[in-house]
Amino acid sequence: MLDIKNLHASIEEDGTPILKGLNLSVKPGEVHAIMGPNGSGKSTLASVLAGRDGYEVTEGSVSFEGHDLLEMEADERAREGLFLAFQYPVELPGVSMSNFLKHAVNSTREHQGKDPLSATDFLALMRENAALVDLDPALKARSVNEGFSGGEKKRNEIFQLAMLSPRLAILDETDSGLDIDALRVVSAGVNKLRQPDRSFVVITHYQRLLEYIVPDVVHVLLDGRIVQSGGKELAIDLEEKGYDWLREETGVPA
Amino acid sequence: MNSLKSLETTFIEAFDKDLGLLPSDTADVWTASRRQAIRSFADAGFPKRKSEAYKYTPVTKWMSEPPALQSSKPVSALHLPFSALEGVHLKTVNGQLSSPPDHLPTGLTISTLRAALETHPELVRGHLDRLSSGSAGDAFSTLAAAFAPDGLFIHVAKGTVLDAPIYIHHASVSPDALVQPRMLVTAAENSEAFVVEHLPETGAGAVFENRIVDVNVARRARLRHLVVYERGSQARFVNSLHAHQLDESVFSTNNITLGGALVRNNLHVVPDGEHCETHLNGLYIAQGGSHVDNHTLVDHVKPNCFSNELFKGIVEGGSTGVFNGKVMVRQDAQKINAYQSSKSIVLDDTSHVYAKPELEIYADDVRCSHGATTGELDDDALFYLRSRGIPPRQARVILLEAFARDVVELIPLDEVRTYLNTRIGELLAD
Repeated sequence: MLDIKNLHASIEEDGTPILKGLNLSVKPGEVHAIMGPNGSGKSTLASVLAGRDGYEVTEGSVSFEGHDLLEMEADERAREGLFLAFQYPVELPGVSMSNFLKHAVNSTREHQGKDPLSATDFLALMRENAALVDLDPALKARSVNEGFSGGEKKRNEIFQLAMLSPRLAILDETDSGLDIDALRVVSAGVNKLRQPDRSFVVITHYQRLLEYIVPDVVHVLLDGRIVQSGGKELAIDLEEKGYDWLREETGVPA
Repeated sequence: MNSLKSLETTFIEAFDKDLGLLPSDTADVWTASRRQAIRSFADAGFPKRKSEAYKYTPVTKWMSEPPALQSSKPVSALHLPFSALEGVHLKTVNGQLSSPPDHLPTGLTISTLRAALETHPELVRGHLDRLSSGSAGDAFSTLAAAFAPDGLFIHVAKGTVLDAPIYIHHASVSPDALVQPRMLVTAAENSEAFVVEHLPETGAGAVFENRIVDVNVARRARLRHLVVYERGSQARFVNSLHAHQLDESVFSTNNITLGGALVRNNLHVVPDGEHCETHLNGLYIAQGGSHVDNHTLVDHVKPNCFSNELFKGIVEGGSTGVFNGKVMVRQDAQKINAYQSSKSIVLDDTSHVYAKPELEIYADDVRCSHGATTGELDDDALFYLRSRGIPPRQARVILLEAFARDVVELIPLDEVRTYLNTRIGELLAD
């Protein structure tokens, strides 16, 4: 599904290296968690995979379903089935949720050689998926993320995930800013969306999210590289002991 | 550069040839007024290069090629999108009423201005005097007052509430001449009306329209006004609107500029009564090297009034947008709430926007604010759309349509809104 080999990336503006030889392989249906302290490169990884401007890949390769991901534009990646749930979802004043999603869903369908969804089918799909994350169906008339609470914005990301039905979803700190109830709703939504041909990369700061979205593999990102991988118990170790013991063990400076 | 002076001479000589040979003691009020107007024009002349009001839109730019004063055969628009909508429909040819409608609602008068000089002299005389004396409006207004052979008169009688709009289709215009129409709209006490003007694309040609619109809104009258300008990419347009409001009246004007090479909207409102409400709105899309200039003045002379302005512009392809909005609050005009906002998006570095909000306040108990922003399309918003699979061109259109929508949404006519949203989408997708 996703194969990242020796990925090096830096900030385009000043050349600061962030990712320094990252390797990651995700198979269909797997859920991988990526944990790490602030500044370790978690969000940069999400941005580079999604194709956000401002980063330069200096070395390495990323293969997604057999295609060279780095050769594709951000919107092509999305149409090929890659989805990024934003840490900070963007407000789009004046763009209604239904207009936004209609364009999004039909862009992907067109890419897959399918006809655009009929208005009835589209509305039914919206209703069904909104229920998945407990979003008010009246939101379709609202502007994207405008006036949404923090929790609504994150639920909206998972709602969009459900609408677009991607092969690979990257959740970038989806738990940040969520209270426990919202975290449960979001996690339950994600769990319902798990299926054998869909993979998840869950980027998080805290182990808490992983109690609800149970990962197959946990990776620790330190200074731009994955320094340790293990089962879900690794997350618990990290929560108890912090990252310093790993720094010592792997020789990564703080 | 002496071109301004020689241009002025051209106009004055043309006028003399046309009208100057008539006996000067003519009893024809209309002709006398036109002669007075050309004298006012000759005295003041065009705004000079140093004129603040025409700083970004110098007259030499308008007149780089002097327009022909003899009208050629008018060309008609192929399509009039609002013609089937419910309401009263008027058509003009070079700004002159082509055929008066036969079934008018009670209380609505529509005629030529010269005819109205007989039927409603008290209403029309003030309009003639104001323009011909040059006391209000600039050289373009006096020029139009001198040259307009006749005009359009719309009067809504006392207490008349019109349920449907009055649509004016400025449907035929000479493709390469200077056309100078004038119009007077008077809404009497407690009346209510909505005037929608459409200047559609009429095909090729450098049509130059220099027009004046006078509006009088009497006590407790409510008048809405919408102008949709869609002439071709070589067209020039000076749109000078002067509105005068009395106590407790409401006036709104919305100016949507989607075409033209050079467009100047001069919007001047005087809420000359207490508890007036005034709305000035506008949207423009300037493409392909065009130049759109919105100049507004709200002159608060009486207390307890409210005014609000929202102007938005999208500028690309070597085009220029100008917004100069002035709010004047005179010394006696206490308890005024006056708000103004101008927002523009500049899509490339060959295009420019000059925004200049001005507040001039002489009263001490007022609430006024203004804000002007000019920026590019938001990269984060574009990326968000693209991350959902939407191709960049489409993402751009979605965001620009959303930006423009604020102004379009103010129009209380579904079909007109739908038409405009579609047109805006088409223009931005090209």
